[in-house]
Amino acid sequence: MNIISIEELRKSYHDSEVAVHALNGINLIIEKGEFTAIVGSSGSGKTTLLNMIGGLDSPDSGCIRIGDVDITSMKSHKLIDFRLRNIGFVFQSFNLIPVLTAFENVEFIMNLQGVKKEERRKRSTELLDAVGLGKRLHSRPSKLSGGQQQRVAVARALASHPRFILADEPTANLDSVSARNLLEIMDKLNQDEQITYIFSTHDQRVVNKAHRVIVLEDGMVVRDE
Amino acid sequence: MIWNIAWKNIWRNKMRSFLVVMAIAFGLLGGIFSSAVLKGSSDQRVREAVSRETSHIQIHNPEFIEDNDVRYYIDDNLSKLESVLDTMKSVAAWSPRVKFMAMAGSANAGTGVVVIGINPEMERHVTEIHSLICDSCGSWFMSSKSVPVVAGSALVKKLGLHLHSKIVLTFQDVQGNLTGGAFRICGIYQTSNSVFDEMNIFVDRKDIIPLLNADTGICHEIAIRLEYPDKVKNVQHLLKGLFPSVLIQNWKEIDPLIGMMNDLMDLWLYLFMGIIMLALGFVIVNTMLMAIMERTKEIGMLAAIGMNKQRIFFLIMLESVFMSLTGGIIGIIIGVVVIWYMNRTGINLGSLSEGFEKLGYSPMLYPSLDLVFFINLTLMVIVTGILASIYPAKRALKLRPAEAIRND
Ligand SMILES: Nc1ncnc2c1ncn2[C@@H]1O[C@H](COP(=O)(O)OP(=O)(O)OP(=O)(O)O)[C@@H](O)[C@H]1O
Ligand SMILES: [Mg+2]
Repeated sequence: MNIISIEELRKSYHDSEVAVHALNGINLIIEKGEFTAIVGSSGSGKTTLLNMIGGLDSPDSGCIRIGDVDITSMKSHKLIDFRLRNIGFVFQSFNLIPVLTAFENVEFIMNLQGVKKEERRKRSTELLDAVGLGKRLHSRPSKLSGGQQQRVAVARALASHPRFILADEPTANLDSVSARNLLEIMDKLNQDEQITYIFSTHDQRVVNKAHRVIVLEDGMVVRDE
Repeated sequence: MIWNIAWKNIWRNKMRSFLVVMAIAFGLLGGIFSSAVLKGSSDQRVREAVSRETSHIQIHNPEFIEDNDVRYYIDDNLSKLESVLDTMKSVAAWSPRVKFMAMAGSANAGTGVVVIGINPEMERHVTEIHSLICDSCGSWFMSSKSVPVVAGSALVKKLGLHLHSKIVLTFQDVQGNLTGGAFRICGIYQTSNSVFDEMNIFVDRKDIIPLLNADTGICHEIAIRLEYPDKVKNVQHLLKGLFPSVLIQNWKEIDPLIGMMNDLMDLWLYLFMGIIMLALGFVIVNTMLMAIMERTKEIGMLAAIGMNKQRIFFLIMLESVFMSLTGGIIGIIIGVVVIWYMNRTGINLGSLSEGFEKLGYSPMLYPSLDLVFFINLTLMVIVTGILASIYPAKRALKLRPAEAIRND
């Protein structure tokens, strides 16, 4: 079953004198349950592609369908709600609300979705348990290590029951032990609960965990295996 | 949860928020204190005017107000009016008065005055003129001498008289014949209003009515003091309904200048506080802008994960309101305590007080403000918080999530 299908996606930036073609006609299909890594050298367009899929930026041409909705033609306020209900995000940094505890950070997204308090509490606890932070529920982000913060972000992304999770270089700020640990948790959740992941990375150790690797170069897919 | 986040966000930069909160608190405190002093002295002036000159409500024959002729006494329903006043709970006291113009003369001077014929006992409970007679200035109709009057000190001075002097009053009786009599000054009062003192001379009603050639019960004016001053409008309305043929005026209508001063004072106080709030509003705008700049990435992240514009706007607005309200509440609490204390002890005008006393003003100032003022002030604080958040919030909403969360 396809959850994401991308056709002829193009995006260029005109900030400097020369136009930068960040995405040069991408065609891709992502299926449910995939654990996909997007790799490529710096500037190859990974972030741009993930932002497009996540509805954080809009392409010059081409279309992105999530399920059977074309998000490229969606109005921005609809898109925010669509993101809230369909997509989980893990960023490289600045993932969490610093004034809230790990538990509250996970709870917050369900609060935005209008989930009842009891349900929120139950799911927050379960998810933080699942990412190995069952004992750190009430710590603020500043009291957690980088790897722990990223795991909270994964729990937060899962909490909203998204159709897939986008992670742009989730391990870039982590040491290799934490990076491996994060990937193992993601991998396990992927297998246990059939969560679809798309993540970008530079990190060769992390790439090995992926079931599918898409290589970008100059805004084009040069390999897909 | 947004409320919780907003509150905690304020305290992320403790020092900065603390300074802003203190600026608001002390800005308001200064405003509250000055307002209380102004309001206190204005209230005092009004209170004096009401207790010495106008009372709360006066009743006249409508034609009496037009040309002050002695023939225009209250003739309709007077006895019914009197018995209604006796039974009304909100009426603390009332005093029937005979009132007419006269020439007051001494051996070497003369001047026009208003003669007020009162029942000394009833008048005591309505106005406080009786208490404004100093120890060496005689008494309020306690003299055994025949036909006593109580005159204002300005009049006594003007006519070159003193206590126990004889004074001659000349006036028309109700038939229009010239009449008059000699009276003895048994008391000299002094209010803070020398024009009033010069114009008004009090006599016993039962002494004067025979000279007017009128029926014993007549009266031109009924002055009423109420139990609760804020009931004026109600009582006035009630009486108007019962006695449509007489003119019933409240103190603001009787002395429009004092009434206006009272109303203008309120307006002025709100204007004054409004200007303070405006200045504090700019402080809040500035602080909120800084707070938002520091949190670009975080706000971008919130928008990315699905927090919509209304919620982000609301979050920023709450932060701004919490900040202004925290300062506002601190300022108001300190203000209330200070005013409460000062209101009990009074502010002695110190070196100035001697001059004030000579003018008949009380040397003590009692700052006061009412509850409504504080309620409105709290609302102003909240509104300021809301308004101050609009510009920073708009700036925050302009952030595009993809750019806000870039890692560079
Ligand atoms: N907002 C922008 N304005 C101008 N140019 C941009 C913008 N965003 C991306 N680009 C350009 O588009 C190209 C692709 O950038 P992108 O961030 O997608 O690369 P990336 O593969 O994520 O790189 P990295 O591995 O360094 O994160 C780059 O040449 C970049 O300079
Ligand atoms: Mg990137």
